[in-house]
Amino acid sequence: MSSPFSINGGACVAMVGKDCVAIACDLRLGLQALTVSNNFPKIFQYGDNVFLGLTGLATDVNTVSDLFRWKVNMYRLREERQIAPRTFANLVSSSLYEKRFGPYFVSPVVAGLDPKTGRPFICGFDSIGCIDFAKDFIVSGTASEQLFGMCESLWEPDLDADALFETISQSLLNAVDRDALSGWGAHVYIIEKDKVTKRLLKGRQD
Amino acid sequence: MSMFSQNPLMNGPNYSFSETPRVGAPEGAREHRFDPYTDNGGSTLAIAGADFTIMAGDTRLTSGYSINSRFHRKVFKIGGTTTDQHDAHLVLSVVGFAADGEALMERVDAMCKMYRYRHGRPISVKACAQRLSTILYNKRFFPYYAYAILGGLDEEGKGAVYSYDPVGSYEREQCRAGGAAASLIMPFLDNQVNFKNQFIPGSGEGHALQERERRPLTRQEVEVLVKDAFDGAVERHIEVGDGLQMMVITNKGIEEIILPLKRD
Amino acid sequence: MYDAPTMEVLLGITGKDFTLIAASKAAMRGATVLKASDDKTRALNKHTLMAFSGEAGDTVQFAEYIQANAQLYSMRNEADLSPSALANFVRGELASSLRSRKPYHVNLLLGGVDPITHKSRLYWLDYLAALAPVPYAAHGYAQYYCLSILDKHHHPDISLGQGIKLLNLCTDELKRRLPIDFKGMVVKAVTKDGIIDIEFDDDKVVHAA
Repeated sequence: MSSPFSINGGACVAMVGKDCVAIACDLRLGLQALTVSNNFPKIFQYGDNVFLGLTGLATDVNTVSDLFRWKVNMYRLREERQIAPRTFANLVSSSLYEKRFGPYFVSPVVAGLDPKTGRPFICGFDSIGCIDFAKDFIVSGTASEQLFGMCESLWEPDLDADALFETISQSLLNAVDRDALSGWGAHVYIIEKDKVTKRLLKGRQD
Repeated sequence: MSMFSQNPLMNGPNYSFSETPRVGAPEGAREHRFDPYTDNGGSTLAIAGADFTIMAGDTRLTSGYSINSRFHRKVFKIGGTTTDQHDAHLVLSVVGFAADGEALMERVDAMCKMYRYRHGRPISVKACAQRLSTILYNKRFFPYYAYAILGGLDEEGKGAVYSYDPVGSYEREQCRAGGAAASLIMPFLDNQVNFKNQFIPGSGEGHALQERERRPLTRQEVEVLVKDAFDGAVERHIEVGDGLQMMVITNKGIEEIILPLKRD
Repeated sequence: MYDAPTMEVLLGITGKDFTLIAASKAAMRGATVLKASDDKTRALNKHTLMAFSGEAGDTVQFAEYIQANAQLYSMRNEADLSPSALANFVRGELASSLRSRKPYHVNLLLGGVDPITHKSRLYWLDYLAALAPVPYAAHGYAQYYCLSILDKHHHPDISLGQGIKLLNLCTDELKRRLPIDFKGMVVKAVTKDGIIDIEFDDDKVVHAA
């Protein structure tokens, strides 16, 4: 309870589908048991199809999301092109490791489609930047155990965009309903080639 | 002349722990500690159907990172007349500290046998459930470190599952996961057994959406669900694996099914 | 890890075209009330007001540092920063202070009206510099009493009069439940025309049930 990772609460999950990826987060911001806001999104967009999910200490969610907005803007100006998900993942990793002995208390998740091949890309990190490349799904936040259970039993390979939306939504919704520190609605992004669909899920309001 | 040469202080056999009182030690108070509990990992699961109950548990027994056994049961038939429990009608699953779990199971079994002796009929699940709560609460300040689930058929022949915390709080439920992977399995059960977060498409907007109607699951469906739940838990929890032990309670008796789980 | 809440009261409520900010008048040190007419707010510009609570020296020092920088920006650029720009500036300053040798221990509410869109804005910031835009907010123990009242009665389209009624609902509950007298509230409303002092009846006696 007193860990910086579980003061504010929150959950995030990313999943791979057939020629698409999905990333979703809850909307709660709390101070221990007290809910302060039910509209605190934890997914940020850094390109046409590069998304970052951040759970953990809310102040660091703010700081890290702002930091990468700046870094990605600088990248785009220098390179005159959008950052690719894999490049962005390495940027996240090295930026977090810079703070090796005074880390940001966040568990980031990256999701996107490779701009050249159109191949789905997801990965997760620990708070000091160790990358976890996954072929299936990545979970993070105070509901991570519940998300592991849900994803491991609902996810299957090569889901199409609609099936992937249903799978990630059910995984997140049912996971956060068993975590007191997460919930209060959700954002779900389905990323396809040339199309990103963002949906707001109401979910249980308790 | 002492009978036990190893332990001069107590004139008894040796201690089973390392921080033993020493003789001839320098003056001054020292602290001696013995932790009476170990967490032996593992996970359990129970689902009540319309006319059956399925109780399940994995068969791995761990302490720390070690696997002490790949086939240690934590789901037990209780309340039968013989040691082989061929005529038992209740099932108790225990997870947490294996020694306490087994001690608890033996006490509840003995209690069920006493009930049969005194009343001339087997104990009901409802009565056994209340008694189990009392047994647990009687050790409120030195608890059995075990999460128990009691399963059987109620007076109407419907599946019944009662779940407990270590000090005797209990509740009758449709389904319950316990132990190390409870937090992985429980949301899956909410979704697949009680159809939580499932709505009828196009039946409304937001909270006006109509919930998918609940329906009792068949035995075959539940067996598949249990296997899926454990396959998921095995994948992500190191303390769960090796084997899956399932007890299916119907009015024809209790059937035990053992299936393999991943052993890595 | 997270610090225990304080008895200092900060409240913020947004409405159709205004943001209300209220702060308790008591300046407390331990169990002693040093002053009963403290103003825990600072105007950052014509349409942004900041309320603060927290550790004794830090609060005013930090607030006036922010105020000075906001005013400097207005003078240099002959344009005011919007409430959202200021909120993000304040957050940046508080966040860099957080990982310094001696962090500021200040909780903030930042209320205003956007000078271009005329939409009301309210930002909640704690001493860890977590920033959240909210329709209504509180700091300290007041959160536990007031947020539930605001959950039930708040609506984004309320008028200033309705907002003040809502505020009265909150302060009544605080008078009823808080164990110490917080000496009434300083109440200010931010509208598109500027910051207005609101007369607030502090002498109303509310008895606990």
